[in-house]
Amino acid sequence: MATTKTHNLKEWDTLHNNGPFPLKKLYITELEGDGNMPDKIDRFNDAANEIRRLIKETKDANQGFRAYGSAWSMNHIASHKDRMHYNGFMNIHIPIIPENCHTNSNFDASNLFLFECGTTIKRVSEVLSAHGKSLKTTGASNGQTIAGCISTGVHGSAFQVGAVQDYVVGLNLIIGPNPNDVVYLERHTQPALNDAFAKKISAKIIRNDHLFNAALVGLGGFGFVHGIVIEAEPRFLLKRYVKKINKDVVLKLADTLDFKNSTFKIPEETTADGFGITPYHYKVFINQYSKEPEYVIELMYKKPFKTDYKDPFPIIKQSLYRDLIHLFTKLAEKLPKSIPWLVKQLRKTIMPTVDDELTGTLPEIFWDAPYQGPAFACSVGVDHKDSSKALKLLADLTNNEGPIPGIFAMRFVKQTKATLGFTKFPVTCMLEIDGVLWKKTRKIMSLTEYSKRIIEVLKQNNIPFTIHWGKNSDWSFPGLVNHMYGADSVNTWNSYRKALLGDEMMEMFSNDFLHDTGLAKKDMTMDDTDENLIASL
Amino acid sequence: MKNTSKIIVLIVICFLLTSCYSIRLRSINGTPQPDPLSNRDDYYRNMEVVEVDTVIKIDMTSKDFTYLIKETDKCKTGKLHTVEFKNTFGGSLLSMVTFGKKRKMKIKYVCMKPAN
Repeated sequence: MATTKTHNLKEWDTLHNNGPFPLKKLYITELEGDGNMPDKIDRFNDAANEIRRLIKETKDANQGFRAYGSAWSMNHIASHKDRMHYNGFMNIHIPIIPENCHTNSNFDASNLFLFECGTTIKRVSEVLSAHGKSLKTTGASNGQTIAGCISTGVHGSAFQVGAVQDYVVGLNLIIGPNPNDVVYLERHTQPALNDAFAKKISAKIIRNDHLFNAALVGLGGFGFVHGIVIEAEPRFLLKRYVKKINKDVVLKLADTLDFKNSTFKIPEETTADGFGITPYHYKVFINQYSKEPEYVIELMYKKPFKTDYKDPFPIIKQSLYRDLIHLFTKLAEKLPKSIPWLVKQLRKTIMPTVDDELTGTLPEIFWDAPYQGPAFACSVGVDHKDSSKALKLLADLTNNEGPIPGIFAMRFVKQTKATLGFTKFPVTCMLEIDGVLWKKTRKIMSLTEYSKRIIEVLKQNNIPFTIHWGKNSDWSFPGLVNHMYGADSVNTWNSYRKALLGDEMMEMFSNDFLHDTGLAKKDMTMDDTDENLIASL
Repeated sequence: MKNTSKIIVLIVICFLLTSCYSIRLRSINGTPQPDPLSNRDDYYRNMEVVEVDTVIKIDMTSKDFTYLIKETDKCKTGKLHTVEFKNTFGGSLLSMVTFGKKRKMKIKYVCMKPAN
């Protein structure tokens, strides 16, 4: 039997110290040992039973419930003031075999894998690698759990691929305390698993594109995400270049993503007729405090996998002394004018080395990120065509009303199908500023005030935008989510959520983040009692 | 005389500083065993760290010392992910004055998270 230890706590914090947030109970569930229960499906279902028991216990206490994994989100999206569940020990994986696939499936069964919620991206990559496969993309590191990634929309900079949720093809949700509350969702237009297999891990199967797309980036509000079926692809290599080039060329590339006709070319990545090849990954590093005429960019090109490539292993970053981080933060708070100088001193630890070249697999390149102290990150998504304009606005804001102890970067992500995915533009430029967390003083505004100014500036300049669900913002900004996604999308998400969960479970899986953003509301214009919303199509 | 004292103090400070250092070994594979209850704010944040701070005795006939890692609640797999060895001035001094019979052992280690 899976076992849960219950801890009575008063507060909980994220990995990056963005809290603390209030809490009453923390559940930590561990799976039954494989020696006692060798069958993985049995252990998966045994864990599901334990989660249902915890949901019942919480329901009986009339409290709320929220699961979390690695605590990498930098706001209160993963927290709940009542009860939280740590699922990091729930990490079963099951490769899907052809006999488990739906008759109408277009997926290659060898690319399909079921992972339990608490499996980290690193572990997912190790499992896939052992099968000669790879994830299509990840975030910039590998410590997040797979459920955490999709629930908050974690992305890399693969602008022809998408974010992590975009290769998810099936979701196994626990939406209540009863045996019938274990549900398997997938798209009706892209079925993956057959009923026989799906029934082994769920009581109900719903194939419905709209419901699936709503639940995909569910913000923890669609119940307990227990299992995730992903589509992997054959292993590949990435060749990474770091260059420093003229700002105008960099920004034109960001606005157009036209690498074919750009004046910037990498000789090795050029076609026979002299055109630039479009990379797999494009990232721009911007020190907004520097007047240098060039920006550092990082490009990666996809290559066929082979075993004989030079060891790419990154030199492990030395940890900054905690005292040094503390000193920098205090300097930033007391003497904000020192921030540009501090950023300049830290450039070697926060930017890649120019002209570095390496080749490696996706998990090798996006490897571990050691904890470096309290951190913040504000990340907005804009249409890539607006990227240079948005950068100028936010860099000016940071220079004129800051400075703020961080630097900007731009990454690019293909459009998601998730109803509330923040990568909603045809190609979204994720414009982010990250750095060390500071406290408001007379001389430097607070992080929430800075986040509010970001929203105001983008609104004043009519730039459509979204905000990364797992990062810092003024999440209580009036009408923020409706402004970002439109009332129709918000209403659709809410209606599917209510139709699937019902009022009682909807309340249980709502936390302060959903209340602050207005996403916990129960009144909606769509008819949520319409059974078609949760019908299998 | 004053200058001589200053030089001696400087040498002692340099010796103290250089004799205190950490070396960390970390596997490139695997995930460290997490500790969701931990409130550390150092390199090991959210990791289940086992700290060993003891003095080991090595007799004249033994060339080395083997410390066994066993499966426990703090090390569910019995397999190592990260090991940090710390040498201190006190440790060096102890070894010196006991002619190597007693050695300060100050290590931290984190085990691999169980995989399923």
